[in-house]
Amino acid sequence: MTKYAFFLGCIAPLRYPGLEAATKRVMQHFNIELLDLNGASCCPAPGVFGSFDLWNWLVVAARNLSLGESLNADLTTICNGCYATLQEAWHILKEDPSKRRRVNEVLSKINRNYNAKTGIKHIIEVFANDIGIDKIKSSVEKSLEGLKVAVHYGCHFLKPRKIRGHGSSEKPHILEDIVTALGAEPVHYKEKLLCCGAGGGVRAGNLDAALEITARKLASVKEAGADCILNPCSFCHFQFDRGQVELRERKGIEFNIPVIHLVQLVGLAMGIDPKSLGLYENEIPPTYLDKLGLR
Amino acid sequence: MDSTKPLIKIDEETSDFIAEILEKGAQIFPKEELERILTCIQCGTCYGSCPSGRITAYHVRVIMRKAQLGLKEEVLKDENLWNCTTCYTCQERCPREVETTDTIRLIRNMAFEAGYVKKPHLIVSRNFIETGHSIPLRDEDKEKRKRVGVSEIPPTTLTYPEALKEVQTLVEATGFKEKVLKLLEEG
Amino acid sequence: MEKPRVGVFICECGGNISDVVDVKKVVKTASEWENVLVARHYTYMCSKPGVELIKQSIKKRELNRIVIACCTPKMHRKMFERNVGEEGINPAFLEIVNVREQCSWVHHGDNEGATQKAIDLIRGAVKKVENAVPLHPGKMPVKPAVLVIGGGIAGITAALRVAEAGIKVYLVEKEPTIGGHMAKYAKVFPTLDCAQCILTPKMGDVAENPNIELFTLAEVKAVEGVPGDFKVKIKLKPRGVDVEKCVGCGACNRVCPVETVSDFDEGLGKRKAIYIPFPQAVPSAYVIDFDSCTKCGKCAEKCPRKAINLEDTEKEIEINVGAIIVATGFKLFDLSDYGEYKYGMHPNVITALQMERLMNVAGPTSGAIVRPSDGGEVKKIGYILCAGSRDTNKGKPYCSRVCCLYATKQALMMREFMEGLDIWIHYIDLRAAGRRYEEFYKNAQIEGVKYVRGKVSEIIPDGDQLIVRAEDTMLGRPIENKYDLVVLCPPIVPSPDITKLAEILKIPLDEDGFVLEKHPKLDPVATKREGIFACGVITGPKDIQTSVSEAEGAAAKAINFLIQKEKIIEPNKAYLAVPEKCDACGECIEVCPTEAISIASEKVEINEILCNGCGACIPACPKEALDLKGLSEKQLMAEIEGILTGSESEIKILAFVENEIAYTALDLTGVARLSYPSSIRVIPVPSTSRLKLKHILYAFAKGADGIMFLEAPEHEGPFGKAHAIAEERIENYKFDIEDYDVDSIRLWFSKVYVPDWRKLVKVFETFDRMIKDEGPIEQEVRENILKQLSQETDT
Repeated sequence: MTKYAFFLGCIAPLRYPGLEAATKRVMQHFNIELLDLNGASCCPAPGVFGSFDLWNWLVVAARNLSLGESLNADLTTICNGCYATLQEAWHILKEDPSKRRRVNEVLSKINRNYNAKTGIKHIIEVFANDIGIDKIKSSVEKSLEGLKVAVHYGCHFLKPRKIRGHGSSEKPHILEDIVTALGAEPVHYKEKLLCCGAGGGVRAGNLDAALEITARKLASVKEAGADCILNPCSFCHFQFDRGQVELRERKGIEFNIPVIHLVQLVGLAMGIDPKSLGLYENEIPPTYLDKLGLR
Repeated sequence: MDSTKPLIKIDEETSDFIAEILEKGAQIFPKEELERILTCIQCGTCYGSCPSGRITAYHVRVIMRKAQLGLKEEVLKDENLWNCTTCYTCQERCPREVETTDTIRLIRNMAFEAGYVKKPHLIVSRNFIETGHSIPLRDEDKEKRKRVGVSEIPPTTLTYPEALKEVQTLVEATGFKEKVLKLLEEG
Repeated sequence: MEKPRVGVFICECGGNISDVVDVKKVVKTASEWENVLVARHYTYMCSKPGVELIKQSIKKRELNRIVIACCTPKMHRKMFERNVGEEGINPAFLEIVNVREQCSWVHHGDNEGATQKAIDLIRGAVKKVENAVPLHPGKMPVKPAVLVIGGGIAGITAALRVAEAGIKVYLVEKEPTIGGHMAKYAKVFPTLDCAQCILTPKMGDVAENPNIELFTLAEVKAVEGVPGDFKVKIKLKPRGVDVEKCVGCGACNRVCPVETVSDFDEGLGKRKAIYIPFPQAVPSAYVIDFDSCTKCGKCAEKCPRKAINLEDTEKEIEINVGAIIVATGFKLFDLSDYGEYKYGMHPNVITALQMERLMNVAGPTSGAIVRPSDGGEVKKIGYILCAGSRDTNKGKPYCSRVCCLYATKQALMMREFMEGLDIWIHYIDLRAAGRRYEEFYKNAQIEGVKYVRGKVSEIIPDGDQLIVRAEDTMLGRPIENKYDLVVLCPPIVPSPDITKLAEILKIPLDEDGFVLEKHPKLDPVATKREGIFACGVITGPKDIQTSVSEAEGAAAKAINFLIQKEKIIEPNKAYLAVPEKCDACGECIEVCPTEAISIASEKVEINEILCNGCGACIPACPKEALDLKGLSEKQLMAEIEGILTGSESEIKILAFVENEIAYTALDLTGVARLSYPSSIRVIPVPSTSRLKLKHILYAFAKGADGIMFLEAPEHEGPFGKAHAIAEERIENYKFDIEDYDVDSIRLWFSKVYVPDWRKLVKVFETFDRMIKDEGPIEQEVRENILKQLSQETDT
């Protein structure tokens, strides 16, 4: 049985625990064992802590990775930010033994060590490679036919592509492939590859700017007539969902576009109860459930 | 607003900023990749791609040029530096393969060190040092967790004090804690 | 002359022609004409049986003139010429009438009009061929030798290549050694090869090659003769040293008491009055600079070989060559008008060529980069690109093409051997368009060379240092930089000798003084004059790689030109037909595009080798003394009359069409099966400058209602300024015909480019409609013209 250590990060467990719950249920459905990564911390966030002190960022990331290594398991994550930090740290420490040595000097203070033997996989990779599109398609219990989905990749799953290694960052298709396998329809929209606006500490440091980018993205989704916006990242999820409340409160802009995480969408199609997938825990109500006859 | 005077007197008012960036960056990134900033031809692909550049005065091409010319202080103190969302679109498209986004992160590291930092970022940092997470777990979040059927407190540093201690040992060892506390004190 | 016995053959082209043109009617009509003994049609006249039909007819009916109506002459004329030639028919007695591309293919749906047009065109051809005289091409021996002027890398390469083909080469160099500018460089971009290491062996090859005769300190004084047989006078300045005897021991140099400025070192170093420019010089011999020599005689005393002659004098020699290659290279533009750059005003502002010498281990400082002002240490250097290039205000309008790269090269080399040296290159646009050039630039950036976009506005001396003021246009902010040394990159200009040389060679220069190519795209190493080629920087700024490629090309062109041993002189040339009428007024000389006409014993003389047969001179002669072989006055008048007289068309339009560009465009209109009115009847001419007012009036008198002139553009056509003269003349004719009561609207001139073929339909339709609206010219007007024409002929 394939197993992963589930790296929670911050946003999912502390703001959107529905995503944590949905991941566990969906992985169970596909017979993927998820181990608790006890004692994990913030990844730390790539654009925030990476912008403050990259050395500290690398050392703390190495600790999180070492937790997986002690369990002899790769980590998996449902957040592009966590993925960015831990995948990049894994990459750096795997490629450069001298950097690994220096990091381990610090880790030795807490009696830990990281040899880059295990790393991290994004949940998208688990779906695409461990489970496979065919398996997902054949496992559909409740086809999502008629559901128009605006796919959002987020930045850090794909980029920088030379480190991530998932191919083109300008014409990705894996999320569309999954959406199609579930019976739903991915809709084209102009700003598909635009950032959610939250990253790099901009959400914390300049919320207005972050929201302006979010609004541009959402307006494009709306224009395309999508029923929801799909994301593979807790932080983008947060920004789109909470951001719509903030846009309403601060700027009086109303979008009401439901936000759904990849694990939730797969869960729905697997026939898992919407409530236990945390779909009702969003700020924006999941109106698409009516269309699917699931309310 | 940028109150800098227009004239740039090379050497008298500039320094080898690139060398500093490379030295600092070499701790984390391969040097041969970072030093491509020297080959920047100011084509503008980066700024043309930048989601933040459309709505703020964050100008990644200009930052690359100022770095080449050695206008260190000017770059560090410009608060627009903090408007990059690190979306990496510029880096992905740069025809000279300049590591623009990573260079911005490095320059921010230097700005942070020099005290050019935003208050909310210090609060996030303090939260991290104190709890191991960047944001706090509030009562409403615990309720939410219960509703969706996961443990009230996640199995992270929030559940394991010895793990939090480990993280705190690390942030002390790297000097990050000291930096943050000093900046918090200075306000 | 024997009585014309004409055969008319019309090709059906498998229906291509006969579906539109009623060939039976054509045959029937033609067979009724005087002098036509045979008129036949056939499915494919170009096929073997078709050709056989013509040949048999010639034999059986003893034909002596052949008219073939078929596809465009560009297609099969040569083949028909060869075949009728086998039956003893001179090429001048063969006429091809284009009834496919310019008739059946463009008049579909107008069978009647097309048939009438075909009949008219064939009638014109019959009349023309009846009036033809046999023509025979001339032959001229070609002198198998080449003169190469200029001994830089381009001249050296061209000379070696020609010599390798076994052809004698005279290489003329004005300096005491060959090698040119390249001999002054340490390394070359983008490979950073050692320049000496790649140049020296080639210079040695020149010295060794038995087919190359080298003249240094030499200058071309005069060139006479024609392509294939030039007589060249060369002036040899005194060297003072016998090249054969000198072994280069240097004893003379050591005792010479005179020190003067070294021009080889770009004025940065000193040398003696007796010197060798550089150790690898070819010829490997010392030379006396007689401008500074005091003739003290010490050198002559010391010379162990008795090679020195202080009383050496200038000599003149004459050589005979078939072709000439010009490779006189460049110099740097004089920046003394640029006060803002302080060149010549501050010793630490130097040119890039001076920098080449300064950084060269064989240079005046043995490669040490020091401040010329005080010999002080150089820590920071600024390069000023476009110091005069891309500047119409005080400099040159063009990009000098190599400066971005050589500045980068110099910077890279210096960074390599002087650690910590700070180099800044100020540029407007960094132009690195060449194989591996952008990569070279990028490499320099990685190596720490700094680039600032923005043209330097001024340089302000500050003691031994220089403050450079410019903008960093990337930031949109002024920038100031203080340097120990400033290197200017001035425009590359043609070597100044070319002005006089071009006059001697009779080759035109362009607006910037570079040698004008025969065609900038398709014949870039030929000059406008046959047998004279050019390569290297004398045709425009370029890098060594391109100069060498051009030299290879120029050599190939020259070899090609000489390999024929005998030059065929086409017979279609202008000639003085009525010598007694000529009073040497010189009007014809003015218009000749090839300078083929001169005056000898009070008559004009047309050089049949130089004449290209454009016909522009003929209307220029006020005495009507000139004529053109192949399209004589008689033939032209007969053709005009033939086409027009007897035609049953309501409206008749003659189109005189320049035979290369415009004619091809017309054929393409047919190939595309476009359609235009059948009133248009084409008479091909070498250039419409061939036409006199008389021809036009005659056409109107004989039935033309409108006349068109389709002419090649000056720069694309084969006859240069003749094409422009044509336009000028036709515009004048428009005024002139009004005197004969013909409205100027009835003349139409168009310049035609090959791609214009689609537009021609509009042109024809418009003119046809205009003439139809005007209606036919009244008979009375025609008769009046004819009367006046005959009166003019009488007087």
